[in-house]
Amino acid sequence: MPAVPYQGHSLPPRIDLLDPAEVARLGGIEIVAQGVVEGFLAGVHRSPFRGFSVEFTEHRAYQPGDELRYLDWRILGRSDRLFVKQFEEETNLRAMVLVDASRSMAWRGTPERLTKRAYADRLAAALALILLRQRDATGLVTFDEQVRQVIPARVKAGQWTRIVRGLLDTPDGAGTAAHAALQRLTALLTRRGLVVLLSDLLFDRDLALMALRYLRHRGHQVVVFHLMDPAEVELGGPPEVRFRDPESSVSVVVRPRELARAYADTVRREIAAWRTACRRHGIAYHHVQTDLPFGMALRLLT
Amino acid sequence: MSFIHPLALLGLAAAAIPALLHLLQRRIPPELDFPPVRYLSAAERESARRLKLRHLLLLILRTALIVVIVLAAARPLVRVRGGGAHEPTAVVIILDNSPSSGAVVDGRLVLDRLRVAAHSSIGRTTSADRMWLMLSDGVLRGGPREALLATVDSTRTGWQRLDLVQAVQRAARLVEAQPLPGREVHVLSDLQNTAVATGKADVPRGVQVLALSPGRAVANRGIATVRMTEGAAVIELSGSAVSAGGAAQPVPVTIRIGGGRRDRGEVAARGLATTPAGGGGMSGAAVTVSLPAQSLAPGWWVGEAALEPDELRADDRRPFAWRVAPPARVTATAGAGPFVAAALGVLQEGRRIVEGRDVVISAGEAPGGARAIVQPPSDPALVGQANRALAARGVPWHWGPAGTPGPIAALELAVLNGVQVVRRYRLEGEQGADGVLATVNGEPWLVRSGGVVLLGSRLDTAWTALPAAPGFVPFVDALVNRIVAGEAEVASAEGAPRVEFRTRGTDTIGATVYGPDQRESDLTPAATSLAIAALGGKDRTEVLDAEHFAAERFSGTRRADASGILLVLALLLAAVELGVATRTR
Repeated sequence: MPAVPYQGHSLPPRIDLLDPAEVARLGGIEIVAQGVVEGFLAGVHRSPFRGFSVEFTEHRAYQPGDELRYLDWRILGRSDRLFVKQFEEETNLRAMVLVDASRSMAWRGTPERLTKRAYADRLAAALALILLRQRDATGLVTFDEQVRQVIPARVKAGQWTRIVRGLLDTPDGAGTAAHAALQRLTALLTRRGLVVLLSDLLFDRDLALMALRYLRHRGHQVVVFHLMDPAEVELGGPPEVRFRDPESSVSVVVRPRELARAYADTVRREIAAWRTACRRHGIAYHHVQTDLPFGMALRLLT
Repeated sequence: MSFIHPLALLGLAAAAIPALLHLLQRRIPPELDFPPVRYLSAAERESARRLKLRHLLLLILRTALIVVIVLAAARPLVRVRGGGAHEPTAVVIILDNSPSSGAVVDGRLVLDRLRVAAHSSIGRTTSADRMWLMLSDGVLRGGPREALLATVDSTRTGWQRLDLVQAVQRAARLVEAQPLPGREVHVLSDLQNTAVATGKADVPRGVQVLALSPGRAVANRGIATVRMTEGAAVIELSGSAVSAGGAAQPVPVTIRIGGGRRDRGEVAARGLATTPAGGGGMSGAAVTVSLPAQSLAPGWWVGEAALEPDELRADDRRPFAWRVAPPARVTATAGAGPFVAAALGVLQEGRRIVEGRDVVISAGEAPGGARAIVQPPSDPALVGQANRALAARGVPWHWGPAGTPGPIAALELAVLNGVQVVRRYRLEGEQGADGVLATVNGEPWLVRSGGVVLLGSRLDTAWTALPAAPGFVPFVDALVNRIVAGEAEVASAEGAPRVEFRTRGTDTIGATVYGPDQRESDLTPAATSLAIAALGGKDRTEVLDAEHFAAERFSGTRRADASGILLVLALLLAAVELGVATRTR
């Protein structure tokens, strides 16, 4: 990997800011996720997530990325050592990463790009690693029409490895009936916490929103990553083509060049509709294309 | 519209290419996975109508583009108005200088107005044109432009009537035979009603007839005929009125006889003709002027009837000829038949003949008297004897075998025309025999040789219907008073007013009176619709005023190459097609 020139110095490259497809070629999910997180944490000066409690419990050694406001200045003054204060509830943050494993997620516009699923896996692994490093209990759920994998939120050692294995063990599924899976998840997520959904959202918006709204109602902080391949945003292809939905038998014959503008409008409206609906219910919504560097995607959470 | 390269129009078949491509492109398209099909379906639902319209518009634009390019390649020539040169044209200019063109309207001779238009028409021709000039004499004069202009300049009002229908038909046939792109007939005439009222010109397709509309109508009266009777001259008038209505007006007529014959003196008389009330023209107006017939010596007399001068001078005077002669001394043999005897009785009562033997009417017997009128014998067995008697008198004609029945045709004896003959002998003449006066089925029926007149049939209703016809007595009158003496009828002909006598040896045997056709006196112009119908019909003929006539002349062949405009149009179409095709919304 070439060094990145910066202010006259040759710096090691930050893989969290590289093209996701190039990053994926470095190795498996673990390597990629660790590399991304290292780069990401080197680039930010505070932890992206905060706990909910204000009650001090103990000190721990300062780690790059910790917010300076939690630095204990008195200890620094006395012993010239860096410690940050930790609070009661901070260790009790429970994060669940929900990864859509439906067949539509296994699609990519060009072979050079990651599939939406591959992108989601790597992003989920990186996110889990960050959370676990903050000693936040993190779990994983993969689903298509059914809930495929459930790894409960833990903070103990080896949790990240379990999460990565859970991602690797989940095959590409069939159709998406996300609302059913999400409703089941509401029963699993009894304690309030952070819920991150990684999906292409190609399912019924109202039903899915109903489930997400329920999670929100239960006190969860919900973040939705709407993953799209760039080829899904801008229509292209042969002069005339029959496009088939891989999850159903629905197909349509179109001339992409003629329909490109109308399609782009439709996609824009759909994204806007998701964003508006999520905002209305206090759900964070982020539209992410699979050519967006992982670091940039993670930054959306800060 | 015509084309320089008409074969290029075969390329119009290429106009079907866009539609064919549209159909042929309906192949099975490749199939690809694409998860957000739901977005595609929604977009297509919203754009379906717009896309259909766009496809239709593109199809029309592409088809039109091909059509326009093919038309441009064929180099179309479109008709243009005003300016520009015309294609080579065959043109006949009919300049009607008949007597009616001598009328003065608004202080100007009608012929002068027509001459200006003719001058203009000839002036517009080019060296590539072929042109003829036709005057009222009906002669088609070809030649270079300068020669025809000189002819027009020297043309004066003539004495011959021009039948416009026939003139246009002849002219149209002439130009139609010319291998030139343009074919026109320019009719420069006062378009008298009488000149177009007879028939309809058969104008071939592709020939354009342009007629100059007549000017203002003027009233006119002229002398149509002069008939001499015992002791009186009957003068019939003709002419036209300007408008309907108005009271009857007396018209003074002067008649002079014997002018220029110092040996006979001159007789002059005046009368008043009354024009019919209601303004219906002069038709039917007549005046009878008494003449001192007793004082006129036997022989030929020449006279002239005259009216007061008016807008058309040509018909204000008309000469006439009249022969004053003593009644013939006639007798008929017993075999001449009862019908001849009855006719002679009538003529005797009318003092047209007297009893005598100067003229003998017989039936097969040897011709007696100085002059003889011989019918065939009733008995066929006597025909040979009768023929020998004729031959003995030196008559080169004889009766032959029986001829076929048929109608009589006689050029100079109008009363005989059409009368049926059921039985007859063929009249056979020796080599060089002449004097045929009437024929049946093309064979002589009435002949004259010297003082002998020979009939092919007996004047009997068993042979011919003539004795029962109204013209029988006038025929016998002409036979005994004129024909047997070798005198012809007084003929009339078109020409400058004058009388010409025909003579044989020292004898005057007939006269021809010249004058204008009486129809020339009626200056009533034809209605435009009538003129159009008579001169070729609505498709081929236009009657135009001077301004429009000048504009329309040669306009049928005034053409411009429209390929440039079509190419510009093709570029525009291509630009629009490009815009629509590349526009994605």
